[in-house]
Amino acid sequence: MQLLRVGYAHPLEDLRDEMDRLWNSLTTAPPLHGWTRQSAKEAFPAINLFETAETVVLEAELPGIDPDALEITTLGDEVTLKGHRDEPDVLSQDTPTENTATPTWHRRERGIGEFVRRLSLPTLIDPEDVEARLQDGVLTVTCPKAAACRPRKVTVTST
Amino acid sequence: MIASSPTSPAERNQLSGSSAEQRLTYRPNVDVATCDDILVLIADIPGSSASAIDVQVEDGVLSIDAAVPARSLPGTAVRREYGIGGYQRSFQIGADFDASQTAATYRNGVLTIRVPRLAAEQPRTIPITAG
Repeated sequence: MQLLRVGYAHPLEDLRDEMDRLWNSLTTAPPLHGWTRQSAKEAFPAINLFETAETVVLEAELPGIDPDALEITTLGDEVTLKGHRDEPDVLSQDTPTENTATPTWHRRERGIGEFVRRLSLPTLIDPEDVEARLQDGVLTVTCPKAAACRPRKVTVTST
Repeated sequence: MIASSPTSPAERNQLSGSSAEQRLTYRPNVDVATCDDILVLIADIPGSSASAIDVQVEDGVLSIDAAVPARSLPGTAVRREYGIGGYQRSFQIGADFDASQTAATYRNGVLTIRVPRLAAEQPRTIPITAG
């Protein structure tokens, strides 16, 4: 009999997890980060970051996420995006409301569930004037840099 | 029943140096369901607009072609985790659906397409005569 040390997972546990995951991928919607390992949970949404002398601009693609379902917090040089995406509304608004047919899924690629993404910005930002805009599923967060982090022109005087 | 076309456009998240100039085409994530004899396709197409999306049903193939205008953000890129480009994908839906009744809406970066099934032929009762 093979002995296992406490805290070590049995190799077959991994296999079972993989099989569960495979089966789930056929029948349910994927999590937002896709059918990857849980450690990739922090990888949604993907972010593009741009920097000017005055601001740091963050852009993320969040299709199907309502502004109400999104929470943005800042702390120091860190921005946290937190939110969730619900099951898609398959029944159209123009079908009668008493219609309670359940959809039959043929393909589920769009992830649903919750996400939290923490991101360190290149500089400290001024939390008072952060602006966030969500349009057509694209989030743009404009963060003005903290005064101490903006470039300052030094005038040179000659004596 | 509903098969995605075997096209393999550029991988999402594949980044290149000068992605601002380079126009890539991506394959959107899609949910497909049937509900009450209506085929429903839901596609993630962030950054497009209703007028820039072309949905066609022809010969039993439903195709989505969405243009995404380039977004210019100021300054220099510090981090690039995704590229920006159009979305294309097509599905074989067969001849059971009524292409002329296709309806599509675009909201919050999500395209929803509904195609009703063709009205089924009424079952015929064949009278039996005793003779």
